[in-house]
Amino acid sequence: ARAERKRKRKSRWGDQEENEPSGLPTTLPRVDDDKKNEYILKIRIEEINRKLRNNDVVPPERLRSPSPEPVYDSHGKRVNTREVRYRKKLEDERHKLVEQATKTLPNFVPPADYRRPTKLQD
Amino acid sequence: PFTGAKEDDVTNVLELMNMVVPEELEDDEEYQDIWEDIAEECGKFGQVVDMKIPRPKKGQDVPGCGSIFVRYQSKDDANAALRALAGRRFADRTVVASFIDEEKYTNDYV
Repeated sequence: ARAERKRKRKSRWGDQEENEPSGLPTTLPRVDDDKKNEYILKIRIEEINRKLRNNDVVPPERLRSPSPEPVYDSHGKRVNTREVRYRKKLEDERHKLVEQATKTLPNFVPPADYRRPTKLQD
Repeated sequence: PFTGAKEDDVTNVLELMNMVVPEELEDDEEYQDIWEDIAEECGKFGQVVDMKIPRPKKGQDVPGCGSIFVRYQSKDDANAALRALAGRRFADRTVVASFIDEEKYTNDYV
């Protein structure tokens, strides 16, 4: 039955060509879990920073979910474009991670372009 | 200041990190999808014995939740998989991989 069930979407794996070499190691030696978690926290924040900075926020098509109904502002400009939605998603994730890193990592410095949201929407 | 996995770090069990966030593992169907995506890809590099993808539990701290553990038949298979998968993208996130002791795999994760 499992094999017959239709998958919701295509594989989440990217091709080799989609790799984004960041210069940071992607294999770790056998260190304890705290050190691993610390590194993953930092590498994910760095990864999001890079995406926001390069305006590379929209994932490849096969990973996208169906678009919601368009929403327009009073000037008739669409406010929930793909770029806007995915940028917000990344900013929200980064916010959570920065909060966590600030609490748990000594000497953690938030990214230069990071602003703590004054109010959290949704 | 990590320098990456070395030859003497190699075991037959991989820990794959930064691929999923716990919330994605809550939904049964999404969990199944993620499981199949990973099992299919990991099988390309050697004989997979079994896998563990710990799921979040309300109000509990689940060890290894957010990581994926894959046990291979041999160290060589696991090593080949690590070299091939680390740095690849999964759901638009960069895969980070390391080796863990088989004993830890058996005892610490569900």
